[in-house]
Amino acid sequence: MVKVVTDSCSDISPELAEKLGIRVVPLYVHFGNEVYRDNVDLSTEGFYSRLEESKVIPTTSTFAPGCAAELFGELAEETNEILTITISQLLSATYSAALQAKAMVTKDCRIEVIDSRTAIGGQMLLTIKAAEMANSGADLDHVAGWVRGAISKVHVRMSFDTLEYLRRGGRIGKAQAFLGTLLKVNPVLGIRDGATFPIARPRNRAQATDFLADFVKGFENIEALAIEDATTPDDLEALAERLKDLVPPEHTYRSKVGPVVGTHVGPHVLAVSVLEAG
Amino acid sequence: MESGLVDGQVLKEMCISGTAWLEKGAPDINAINVFPVPDGDTGTNMLLTMRSALQEASQSSARDASSVAKSLSHGSLMGARGNSGVILSQFWRGLAKGLNGKDSFGGKDLAKALAQAAQAAYEGIVHPVEGTMLTVIKDAADAADEAAKTDANGLVSVLEAAVEAARESVSRTPSLLPVLKEAGVVDAGGQGVYVLLDGALHFLRGEADKIQYWRPQVVAADLPLALKTTQTAAEVEAPYGYCTNFVLKGQKLGLKKIKRALKKKGQSLVVTGDNTTVRVHIHSLKPGEILNYATRLGTLHHIEINNMADQYAEFIKLQKERLPTIDIAIVAVALGDGFLKLFNSLGTAMVVPGGQTMNPSVRQLVQAVEFAPSDNVILLPNNKNIIPTASQVEALTSKKVRIIPTQTIPQGIAAALAFSYDMDFEQNARTMEEATKGVSTLAITRAIRNVQLDGLEIKKGYFIAILNDEALIASGSSASHVVLKALEKMNIAGIEIVTVYYGAETRDAEADNIAKEIRAEYPVEVEVFYGGQPYYNYVLSLE
Repeated sequence: MVKVVTDSCSDISPELAEKLGIRVVPLYVHFGNEVYRDNVDLSTEGFYSRLEESKVIPTTSTFAPGCAAELFGELAEETNEILTITISQLLSATYSAALQAKAMVTKDCRIEVIDSRTAIGGQMLLTIKAAEMANSGADLDHVAGWVRGAISKVHVRMSFDTLEYLRRGGRIGKAQAFLGTLLKVNPVLGIRDGATFPIARPRNRAQATDFLADFVKGFENIEALAIEDATTPDDLEALAERLKDLVPPEHTYRSKVGPVVGTHVGPHVLAVSVLEAG
Repeated sequence: MESGLVDGQVLKEMCISGTAWLEKGAPDINAINVFPVPDGDTGTNMLLTMRSALQEASQSSARDASSVAKSLSHGSLMGARGNSGVILSQFWRGLAKGLNGKDSFGGKDLAKALAQAAQAAYEGIVHPVEGTMLTVIKDAADAADEAAKTDANGLVSVLEAAVEAARESVSRTPSLLPVLKEAGVVDAGGQGVYVLLDGALHFLRGEADKIQYWRPQVVAADLPLALKTTQTAAEVEAPYGYCTNFVLKGQKLGLKKIKRALKKKGQSLVVTGDNTTVRVHIHSLKPGEILNYATRLGTLHHIEINNMADQYAEFIKLQKERLPTIDIAIVAVALGDGFLKLFNSLGTAMVVPGGQTMNPSVRQLVQAVEFAPSDNVILLPNNKNIIPTASQVEALTSKKVRIIPTQTIPQGIAAALAFSYDMDFEQNARTMEEATKGVSTLAITRAIRNVQLDGLEIKKGYFIAILNDEALIASGSSASHVVLKALEKMNIAGIEIVTVYYGAETRDAEADNIAKEIRAEYPVEVEVFYGGQPYYNYVLSLE
């Protein structure tokens, strides 16, 4: 059976990963000289409270190729097909690290590494679906083929109170067009061609949330939906309530933006990710 | 052990020394990190990777070069952090391959191993980019190879050649990678490689004490670095002439004399140095005359003359790569330095000065549309009286023009905010027009004579409030009072955001005060912003 691996930027909860048999390789968060594994040594809650209190600005880094190679080696004991779905290589060196890990594996095992060209909920939905296909017996070519074809059907929108975290972490990409905006806005960004992209500039948080809701409502046929917050669960629930008639509950995934991505987006982000059907 | 050869123990010491040197240089390396993502952690990542490599090597009791290199390789692979760490771990992998089976090594072996390291580094990267640490590793390896061809060259000479080549290679990185040139830095990862090799060399030369008291210097770039510019299209002055740079050497040169003589010959003159060496930078239409003058004083070196129009074109190209490309330009009409900045910050390409008492001519508008950097132009007149003029523009230009009939500045701002990089021309025009509908504008000015208007008795000098450029709805002797009275008359239920734009002759403290009073009275978000408009003490946007 195909084993599905992803990185912690997919924001898949440990429970869901366990249930679907998905292995998650953690990236790292650094506070000064202290290093934590994403969502392993440092919980999402613990991270955000520290982010708001800490004077040290955290940074992030990808996992070492050796760590992924160890996991691949371990999985190669039980399977001969591994599918790895990583965050966009324009946002992290994870893809590159996974490719090197693949080259280090000596056991006879096919390993496919796919750049999802997205992150967070988008990466999550691709990975969940891939794991479901693998669990129902699809082979590696089939699952990998589906993922490659589905990348263009994944759409992510994130609303921000500030773009400061994104700027500081160097991931602002073309959304820097919004950086100089002199009025207070709650920008909405998307991920396009693997990088953050400016979408809209609502004037306040309520309008930004409306934008996210309208964005999801604009799709005719949704296969799966991910809704995420960082430290604002009430906002997440309110948004989920508005969208509940569009997507059945078993295809709606609620999650938290984890520490590594949180370092770059800040504590007040709200995000929706849509996987189009068909 | 053969003479001139060293064993694994020495390799380990070289690494310890290199890592210590890297630790001292790490903050500087972090500071210049702009590629591939400017997240300021290259130095830290390389250091953590090296620490992991050393930790593994120190746990092994092996003394042969081959085993030590292997443990360094494995340790760095397990502890690789970030892009630079991943490349560094590849470097060690190649180096270990090169030293495979060797108890000890000399200059020739090192050169061979460095070549393997460079190859491994390139192979490890999906899309290798020149002007990064890859280039520096390759240049160092090539120089080592060249040095090792001479039999007399031992390990120290070969590493010396590699370090010197690495340093020169770092200084060239901005010429290879435009993003570095633009940011005014050399490549951070390349600098890290240089420092690491340099630190190892310190050990071989017996200069370990240097590491204790000194700090690695960041290599200077070999070309004048561009300054970071965030000019917007409307403010950019078309550059002309030639950017001329050279070093003048001679005796008793006299900086003041040179400055005086060159001042008339061009712009942006910089003359630095001392009596024997002077560096000159000047923008001039006739660089020949400048050089002629200078050759009379001494000898010229490092002459560099660039056509600034070419440089400008390159800058624009870079900007285009960094910003979303969309073939739409917005042209707005506004008066006031604050509004000008605001429209620019919203992505407006051109702002034509104009407003209530100063309607721009059709010619001015056509000119702005023609000048805008796209064939699809959205025009925001931002005043009722300018809309008819703006409507004539379409017939007078070959460009595609859409007029959003914005009657006030706040409507224009709402339209500009609604502009999306995610939509095409027609969609944007529709969305922007739609966005103007939820905006009301309240303008506060002073009456210029006694008058009876809309049932209100107004004394000369009184403040008056005009709603949507149509109805006079309040008047009084104090501005804040008039604002509150006007808001009371309007039905502002459903309004979420009030933005107070204060004029050129209004103090910010007074504007803050009005904002405070509105907040006390209504459950709305209030933002205060300097518009710098003439005549109107305040323009309020209600949305």
